[in-house]
Amino acid sequence: MSLVLEQPRITELVSSNSQAGMPLGQTIQIAWRAIVGNPLRSILTTLGVIIGVAAVIALTSLGSGATSGIQKQLEGLGTNLLTVSSGAARGGGGIGLVRGGGQQTITLDDVKALRDQFSSRMSGIAPTVQRNIQAKAGTNNISATVIGSWVDYGLVRNTLPEKGAFFSETDNSGRKRVAVIGYQVATDLLLEVGSKFKLQGISFTVVGILADKGDAGFASPNTQVIVPLSTYSQRLGRQSASADTVSSVYIQGKDKDDLKQLQTDLIDAMAKLHKKEIPEDYDFNVQNQADALSSLNQVTSILTLFLGGVAGISLLVGGIGIMNIMLVSVTERTREIGIRKALGARPRDILTQFLVESIALSVGGGLLGAAIGIGLALLAGGALNITPVIGVSSVLLAFGFSAFVGIFFGYYPASRAAKLQPVDALRYE
Amino acid sequence: MPPILELNGIIKTYQLGDQEFQALRGVDLELQSGEMVALMGPSGSGKTTLMQIIGLLDSPSQGAYQLRGRDVTTLNENERARARNLDIGFVFQAFYLLTRQNVLENVETPMIYAGIPAKERRERAMWALERVGISDKWRNLPSQISGGQKQRVAVARALTLEPAILLADEPTGNLDSRTSIEIMTLFQALHNEGSTVIIVTHEPEIGEHCERIVRLRDGLLESDTPNRSIRKAVAA
Repeated sequence: MSLVLEQPRITELVSSNSQAGMPLGQTIQIAWRAIVGNPLRSILTTLGVIIGVAAVIALTSLGSGATSGIQKQLEGLGTNLLTVSSGAARGGGGIGLVRGGGQQTITLDDVKALRDQFSSRMSGIAPTVQRNIQAKAGTNNISATVIGSWVDYGLVRNTLPEKGAFFSETDNSGRKRVAVIGYQVATDLLLEVGSKFKLQGISFTVVGILADKGDAGFASPNTQVIVPLSTYSQRLGRQSASADTVSSVYIQGKDKDDLKQLQTDLIDAMAKLHKKEIPEDYDFNVQNQADALSSLNQVTSILTLFLGGVAGISLLVGGIGIMNIMLVSVTERTREIGIRKALGARPRDILTQFLVESIALSVGGGLLGAAIGIGLALLAGGALNITPVIGVSSVLLAFGFSAFVGIFFGYYPASRAAKLQPVDALRYE
Repeated sequence: MPPILELNGIIKTYQLGDQEFQALRGVDLELQSGEMVALMGPSGSGKTTLMQIIGLLDSPSQGAYQLRGRDVTTLNENERARARNLDIGFVFQAFYLLTRQNVLENVETPMIYAGIPAKERRERAMWALERVGISDKWRNLPSQISGGQKQRVAVARALTLEPAILLADEPTGNLDSRTSIEIMTLFQALHNEGSTVIIVTHEPEIGEHCERIVRLRDGLLESDTPNRSIRKAVAA
């Protein structure tokens, strides 16, 4: 029975430093066992944090994905772009590419005057009219956005053909029935450069085909048909519309830094041409592409703020869930706390043990939530045709915040555990 | 040789509502190193309270307590934790093993709090498990071993840091009589090797395994007598 063995000297091994406590590795191991010892409860406990973090990451990724998509499209519409359009100036600078409805007040004479006045400061000017017309070739047809414009349109709006060429100045002045067509028009009507198709029964010859721009977005360049403005006015123009008015004039500035000044000067020039003295009477407006981008950014930042608020609330709720379960856990494990204290655990050891457990729960929830959020963003992005942009900062923020939640909401239960008297804790049934 | 434990005029008062209840009414006790003492008495005699005070789980309301020649009544909570860790080896009636840790890890726990490096901890724990004859079960969880084996694990855990006192509170209370005798034999063997042992019990047969019997009644020492007929278990 009494197997006498050589006994190692223990006194030499006991750390002389009375501050020495349980190594963190051990504490983490204990916390890990407590968590995996009750997996269902651990998952339910962290569900709030998981959902919160997943929602934040999925929504912000999709949000910034959508934003950068729109941004790219806006930039794809042309660089250094200014738009003069009919209608009263809208306050607050809404998204500037929405055409004002109603009366077309800009005449071709206005456009020519602007071109002559600012020719040194612009690299292109393209007055534009447009309407939807059914395009037909044989038995195929497609609803196309038919745009009448000048030669510069291709340059200014960044829509130069992939195949063939843009129509020329002579095509315009000669009112030739030629057209540059969008990718989908070409594929649906089986058109090549040189083939013919019909708009309102009038035959047009394809001179250029645009590259595939993707079907997303409001401008849908894939279903465009661009024809010379003079041809449009003569052949396709509405009966009601006056032949020499246009809905918008696209202008490409030469110098990015001059764009703001050019915008102001264009407004002044237009006011003079239309003999309007005060801005309230203006029957036109001039918009800068940068305005559209900045108002878009404004929307995005409000959205981000809003999502941050939602994130904060859901993580708060998640944190309360963790605190609740940690309090239950401390009560359930009062006996364990008593045993550990009897064996020499100091209050700080117990505090650390429970704090590490709640941090592990919330950070684990944060990690799981981040993974789910990224997965959701990719999945939903695929379905909505948005490329989600997963921001490192949003992942870090959600992660850091969930760790903070673990510390903040874990501290009270942990300090309650630490303060338990060993005799009371051991007596607890 | 100074006593390893010295209690003078220990009083413990509990506040029950607006009534005061004296569980201990002035207890003096001296223990020499290497003694094996039974602390006996009927329930309500104060023996559990005395055990808790000796084990630094509770503080006396009045009186002096010297452990290994050091006054321990003025220690703060951290120092008391360290004294429990290094000076007292607890063995409880309900074993009090940590259910999620295996046998070896349970035995290692006090050494973890003492800051002993992992390698020594492991060696030392295995040594203690061999000492109580259960080293083959080191991998098992407490739920996978019998009551007698659990109590051996608890004894091993109490041994690891060479405590001044092995303090056993009704160590056989949850065991059948044969296993009880085995555990008492183990305590006797440890005593023979030089350990100081206090066994708190209300069972006379258990007390008879000790060389000195201290009886408490109503919070006072009733008798303190040497046991002339120490019961020796027949080796099973």
